[in-house]
Order: sequence, then C-alpha cells, then structure tokens
Amino acid sequence: MEITRDALVLEFKNHLITYLNLLDTTPEQIKDDEPLFGEDLGLDSIDSVELIVLLDREYGIKIKNPTEGRQILVDTNTIVEYIIANRTK
Amino acid sequence: MRKVFITGIGAISSLGKTIEAHRSALIAGKTGMGKAKHFQSSYSEKMPFAEIDASDTELKKSLSINELGFNRTALIALFAFDQAILDADLSPSEISDFSTAFISSSTVGGMCNTIELYQDANHFGEPSEFVDSYEGSDHLLRIVKRYRINGYTDTLNTACSSSANAIMLGARLIQTGRAKRVIVGGADCLAKFTVNGFNALRILSEEPCKPFDRDREGLTLGEAAAYLVLESDEIVGTKKKYAEVVGFGNTNDAFHPSATSDEAVGPLSAMQEALRIAGLSPENIDYINAHGTGTPNNDQTESFAFSKLFEKVPPFNSTKSYTGHTLAAAGALEALFSILSLTYSELYPSLQVESPIEEFDFKPITSYQSHVELKHVMSNSFGFGGNCTSLILSKCL
Amino acid sequence: MFVKAVSAISPQKTHNLDFEKGDFQVHEGLKFNAFEPHYLDFIPAGLLRRMGKAVRMGIGASMSLIKDYPKFDGIILSTANGGLEDCVKFLNQIVDYQEGVLTPTNFVQSTPNAVAGQLALMTKTNQYNNTHVNGSLAFENALVDAQMVMESHDSNTIILLGAVEEISDYQFNIDQLSHRFKTEHLTNYTLFDSKSPGSICGEGATMFVLSSEPKNARAEIVDVAQITYPTKDSLSIVVDAFLQKNKLTNSDIDVLITGKNGDSRTDHWYDFVKYNSFSQADEIHFKHFVGEYRTASAFGVYLAVQILSEKISQATIKISKKPKFVLVYNHFDGIRHGFVLLKSVLI
Repeated sequence: MEITRDALVLEFKNHLITYLNLLDTTPEQIKDDEPLFGEDLGLDSIDSVELIVLLDREYGIKIKNPTEGRQILVDTNTIVEYIIANRTK
Repeated sequence: MRKVFITGIGAISSLGKTIEAHRSALIAGKTGMGKAKHFQSSYSEKMPFAEIDASDTELKKSLSINELGFNRTALIALFAFDQAILDADLSPSEISDFSTAFISSSTVGGMCNTIELYQDANHFGEPSEFVDSYEGSDHLLRIVKRYRINGYTDTLNTACSSSANAIMLGARLIQTGRAKRVIVGGADCLAKFTVNGFNALRILSEEPCKPFDRDREGLTLGEAAAYLVLESDEIVGTKKKYAEVVGFGNTNDAFHPSATSDEAVGPLSAMQEALRIAGLSPENIDYINAHGTGTPNNDQTESFAFSKLFEKVPPFNSTKSYTGHTLAAAGALEALFSILSLTYSELYPSLQVESPIEEFDFKPITSYQSHVELKHVMSNSFGFGGNCTSLILSKCL
Repeated sequence: MFVKAVSAISPQKTHNLDFEKGDFQVHEGLKFNAFEPHYLDFIPAGLLRRMGKAVRMGIGASMSLIKDYPKFDGIILSTANGGLEDCVKFLNQIVDYQEGVLTPTNFVQSTPNAVAGQLALMTKTNQYNNTHVNGSLAFENALVDAQMVMESHDSNTIILLGAVEEISDYQFNIDQLSHRFKTEHLTNYTLFDSKSPGSICGEGATMFVLSSEPKNARAEIVDVAQITYPTKDSLSIVVDAFLQKNKLTNSDIDVLITGKNGDSRTDHWYDFVKYNSFSQADEIHFKHFVGEYRTASAFGVYLAVQILSEKISQATIKISKKPKFVLVYNHFDGIRHGFVLLKSVLI
C-alpha cells in the first residue's frame, strides 16, 4: 500500500504518542528534526526499547538492541527514512 | 540492644535440595545454569535458566501436600522453610510462640501460574485452582497456617533486594525487643512474567550470565527459596550459631526505575551504612558476596562502588554465576552462601569470568580456597526501584 | 511516632477535604472508584505518562505532603497488589504476542515497589526505602517499620509512609471469582443492612508524614498489633496484651474504628471484639465510605487522625465525646487482623 512521506510522518508520530503514552502531546507539537532523546521530548532507555517494539509491530523492522537502536532513532526524519528503506509490512 | 544470631538455614535452588548439595556445587565450581526441563515457555529452548530440578508434582509429593492452590512459589518456600526450622531445632510450640516472627518475600508470588492468571483476571470461565493464590504474600499465609505462627508476620517486595530486606527487618525486630526469634527469607520461581519482563528490558543474556566479565551481556534467571532462622542472644543458649548479623544498610539510588546511577550512589551508601551499624571499617571486610547480576550496568556500578569504598577490594564473587538471579530469594540465598564461607573458612570461585572488567585493577575470586580466615563478610543486593541493601555477617567466636 | 500531615485520594472527597465537612458521597454498585485530581497540574507529563493508576494515586496523594516536607529520612509503602493492572496488561501481551517482542513499561510499572521507588526519585531521597505487601497487614507492617527507623535515629526523623491499592478490572474479576462481592444491588448506606455474604470493592492512596517530634503533630500513633488465622481466644489474648503493654484498660479506648464491610460471613469478628473488649467505646465504620480493599485500614487510621485533630467534627462522624484514645481494628477475610492505637495530642 503506497503512502506519502507526509502521511507516514503523521502515522509514525501518532504511533509514538500511543506507544509512549505522551500525554497532552499532538503530532503537530513534535518537530520532524527534534531529537527524541534530547531536552524537549526527553525519552530514556525504556522508551528506546518501546520504540524498537513499535518499529517491529507496526513496520516489521527488527532492531537487535537499544545500542543499535540509538544510532537509528535520532529524530522523526531519520526514523521515517529508516522505515521507508526497511519496512517489511 | 539485643544481638542477632543465625541458628538455622535452609535452601532449594538449581544447585540442589540440601545445604550439602549447595556447598558441594560451590566448592566444585559447578553452575546450576543450563537448559530448563520443567519451565514451560518459548524461552526454555532459547535461553539458559537455573531451574530447580523438580516438577511441581514431585515437590508436592515430597512435602505431602494434597490441597489445591499450592503454587510453585509456595512449594519451594515451604521446602526451604522446613529445612531451616529443622536445622535450628525449633519445636512446634516455639514456632507458635507469640514472640516468633516470620518475614518472607517474593516478587512473582502466585503469578507463576500465567495461564490461570490470564484466565481468571480476564474472567474467562470458571475460577481456576489458583484464583486465591496470586498475591506475593500467598506463600507466607500457607506457611503461617500450616505451622500456626501467631507472632509478627510480614511480606516484602523490593524486587531483587527483597529477602535481604527481610533479614534486615528481622534483625531489627530482635534488636528492638519486638521478637525473640524471626524466620526470614524469600522465594521466587521461574515465571513467564519475569522472563518476558526482563527480556522486554533487554537485560536477559542469551548465554549463561558472566558477572564481572568484560563481555557480560545480561542476567540469567534462576529460581530458589532460602530461609534463615534468627534468634536473640536472650534465647539462643548453647545452640549452634552460624554467624551474627552485625550490620545492614538500606538506601535508595533515586536515579532510574531500572538502572543504577553511574556514581553508584545507592550501592555505595548501603555498604557504608552497613559498616557504620556494624561499627566496622572497610578493611575489616574479608569477603563480599556481590549482587553481580551480569548486566553491563550493575557490574560496572557495583565495581565502581567497591573502588570508592575499599582501598584494597577484598575477595569477592557473584554466586549468581551458580544460581542465576533468583530475584526475591537472592538476598537470603546469598547470605546463606556467605554463611557457608564463614563457617567452613573457604572462598568459592566466581564462575564465567574470562576477561575481568578492564577499568578496575581487581577481579573476582578465580578458584576455590580453603583454610581462609574470615571474620566479617558482606552481602549485597540491589534491585529495581533503586532499592539497595547491604548486609554484614560476622563469625561467632 | 507522630502524624504531622495526611493526604488521601479515595472514593470520598478527601482530596479537597469536603469529606471532612460531612459531604459524604453516595456510591452504588460494586465499585467505589476514587475521586482523582487532575494530575497534570502537579505531576510532570514525562513522569505521569508511565504511571499506572496505583502509582498515580500514590504519587498524587503524596504531592501536597512533599511540598511542605521536601526531605525525608525514609519512604515506606504498603500495597497488596501493587500495579496489578499493569501486571495483567503485560501478561495479556505475553499471551497475545506469544512471548514475542513486548513493551517493557507495563512490567516496570507493575512492580509493587514502583511507588516507593518513584517517590524516592522525585524527592531525591536516598535514605531507607521499603515496600510491604503482606495483604491486609501491609499498612500495619509499614507502621512498625517506621517506628523502628525512628528508634534508630537520635534526631528528628521524618518518614513518608502510606498505602496504595487500585481497583483494576483484573483484580476485580479475580475477587469476584472468589465470591468477595455482594450479588444484590445496594448503596454504601445500605451496606450494613444487607445480611448477605460479600462486600463492595474500593480503592485509594492514603499517605502520612510521620515524625519523631510531637511539635505541631495532628495525632500520635502509639502502637500496632497483629495476628493471622486467630481463634477467638488467641485474638482476645492479643487485644489484652496490647492494652497491657500500653498500660491501658479496656475503658480507656474512647472510639473503636472497625473495618466492618457488610460481609455476613466475617463481620462477626468485629462484633466479638467490640462486645468482648470495648462495649463502652463509640464504634464507627469506614468501609461504607471507601469500600473494601486490602490496605483499607490505612483509611481507618486516616479517619482516626482527622477525628483526633478535629478536622472532622464529633457531630459529623457521630461520636459522643472528644476522644483521647482511638483504636482501629481491621481484618480481611477474617484471616489477617490488625490493630492500630492512636492518641490525641490535644488532651
């Protein structure tokens, strides 16, 4: 099923909000180049594992461990690029 | 303040069902980690576990239990409890005396019955045999009923430091005159809940754990139950005394729910507090039974704490390299191993260490040593929620 | 051991003290859900997002106390089921995904020591931290633990202590399968009229700031006693020994707060203790306010503190005089029995 990049960005942000239970946060509030593990969103090691699960369940992408994950899971842009390149669902 | 002596010990784990079996395995450097035979999980094929070599049916038979609802946690708890009170030579009237307390601990409790819990919690059909036994304190209730324990009872859950806290709480009850005798310990069995939980956190190792090894990857889960009988100097009389509980420290790392701070604030302060209570200095400690789970985080931070506290780090090992991480039972089981070291004047090797952590100039015990003069030993347990507990036991003269 | 402050999130309006003014809420049916504040007003979203209900209530009830008492010498919590909701959510994942790739947050938040751990994090308290899970004696156990922590310090010791229990659908299902609940329709006001088995289900977080100094205290917690699987004889022995140890006679107890819950199978224990030992005391109940749950005795003690510190008037709670000694007696299933003795600091 073809999906535009913008639609994928929105879809990913909605998944992020659901999986991480980001209260009072809308997709519009997450900037595409905002570092996920930086000051604003402030995600931590447990979140990196949740992200790995998200990518597996929603996009069929398997990342072995959080260390490998941290190279990929920088911001929305890098993740969406990774999804486009590697999704199996 | 009253003194606290250990007069009885009992344990069941992957190393065996008797104290002799445990000691033999420790001396021989023989690990209990391997392939699980009884534990039903998709992980049984993929990962090593340190399983007790007995099915629930076998345990029930050996304990002569016919009643329903006795889950594996309760079975192994009763097994070790029986051993400990026999070892301490306690009579039924002593056990039922109002001055005899019982403090146990478990993290899994009755949740080892995953399928039944799933069914009962989601109200699928009729209640299962285990509907009343899911709580962490269920095993305690069963033992209290069986032995007619009338004194103070308590169940703790501070994750991996649970039974170490039970020992500390029991010692304080005796010191403050609230009890004359306390049976303390804990039990945890292999359960899908914990296996999947630790795996979801990516801290389970696919190979048997390698505590304090440079290339360690995570922990290996084990199951065990261990109990100690603590008695006040007021009543101990001429009974054999394994050791005296002289120091304890309970602190919180207050850093992260499932990781220890780089500066090891919690572990360091727990050890310092234990020394303060014991009236000892770091150089008085002759041996440490480390928490040593084999996770990158714990072993690094615990080593760091050692380097900060001890000018010369005493001999140390992680007996989790034998028994795996037995969660709530770990504190009591490892205190028990420390008692064996004290009693028999010997040190057991820390298994699975090929390359020690490079950053530090100390490494764990590499081979069995006998005729070792040990006076004061330390046992550490650090858990989720930042809970850190350190115990100091001393040889009785 | 003195109570400096209390805070409760409960099925009554205790979060804004309307309960104390006599504004009692009526509950119908089997679940008495707590009135919860808007947590985002005082818990950072980054922390709140990870909290299951039990943890939210525990932290929520603690926040007003933390504002006034930023430093603690110990944090001691009690809960029977911890975050069972999160626990079974994780379990459901295990079954639904056949032990495949699972998300860890439910697991981490389901552990009973999550509340105490979170409180330590938020207040940066590195000191003593413990969690008791001994069913309906867990709260009483926590009190004894706190007493011993205070005895081990020379100077003023401040401890944050409390009890947390949530109604999770899962625990409710399990308790229902164990026949713990009424099968007929009733309200909290008809609870004690029903002569049938079972009770109703409640929840709550009740937190206390305890201190070894009496200055500005609301009440004193004098002592705690317990027994499990008693007979009527051994229960009487415990009561008598408890009074004797504290140099009191039966008639010294002015108010007896009992955990009567309308269960015809087990309320007789309360009648026995009342008529055998405290026939002259005013008897009041609390489970029609907050329902039955394992650590409910914490609310009984909360009520005792509010009565002793006159936050709730004699007329509102229907007692005949200003009490000096209040005894809270509670059991669960007739198996675990606990007693907490409180004393006024005003008389």
